[in-house]
Amino acid sequence: MPASDMTQSFNFDATDLNIVQQLRLNGRANNQQIAEKLGLTATTVSTRIKRLEDANQLRVVAVSDFAAHGFNFLLRVAVEVDGRPASEVALELAELPQVFAVHLVTGRYDIDMLVALHDFDDLSVLLLDKLSTVRGIRALTPAIVVDIIKYKFNVAPIEGRN
Amino acid sequence: MPAPTLDALDHQLIDLLSRDARVSNRKIAAELGVTEGTVRGRIKRLQQDGLIVFTAVTGFEMARKSRLSFINVQADVDKVRDIANMISELPQINAVLITMGQFNITAMCLIEELDTLVDIASDQILSIDGVHHVETSIAVKTMKYNARMAKITPYDAVPDED
Repeated sequence: MPASDMTQSFNFDATDLNIVQQLRLNGRANNQQIAEKLGLTATTVSTRIKRLEDANQLRVVAVSDFAAHGFNFLLRVAVEVDGRPASEVALELAELPQVFAVHLVTGRYDIDMLVALHDFDDLSVLLLDKLSTVRGIRALTPAIVVDIIKYKFNVAPIEGRN
Repeated sequence: MPAPTLDALDHQLIDLLSRDARVSNRKIAAELGVTEGTVRGRIKRLQQDGLIVFTAVTGFEMARKSRLSFINVQADVDKVRDIANMISELPQINAVLITMGQFNITAMCLIEELDTLVDIASDQILSIDGVHHVETSIAVKTMKYNARMAKITPYDAVPDED
């Protein structure tokens, strides 16, 4: 399970950051194209990318739209926990395939999660068959996502490659 | 939103590229048993339909130990879209959702210091005409996050194909 582990230290320099910047713009740019833009050799680009990937500090990936997976119904759900550590409940929620993000948060609620569903019928399955079996949930405060104006994250917990 | 019609090959492509976007067309073609031209054409169509983007995702270490923060906003219903657009224009903001629930806008950002969150939430968002309440919460631990799925919006620039 990817958890944000912030204790390890990793050194990177301006060249690394420049390469990452080019990859953010176009992850499919090849080593030669990046090398020419930055005045480096293709070998340097390749070595740097590999080093960052091996240190689990970089992944160059295709990000696909929710709609490409048929997820047309998104919910943000705030969870209040009672009688059980919130981290335990959050880990159990993270096991559900419909749950696409889970964070332990400060403030009025204990857990914040994003749920991706295909349609409205999926909601009863999630609520009655799945969430009802998770011990320690005191209350759920859902919000239906009506529209997404911006959604641009370049940072995420990076899981190791198997 | 129009439901895209993707076939099995599209899904295989997305799956492959979401693990590593830097695989060559030739390698993908060989693995999926299709021609390079088909791979190129499919990728181009998915990009043009706004269903896929290629980008770099970095670990928290490279992002100077940022914390994901939520800013929940109550705004006048008749101004929600305009206000959501204004919040999206703030450079520090990563995501803006319009929701139906206790709050009608959720903004998300990555912060390095608490002062930044106060500045964004209180000084910049609360001061927008039509916003009457703002609440913040900070993710202290992330149990699950899938960076490979997102909403692709005009904020994701699609690079020109070479």
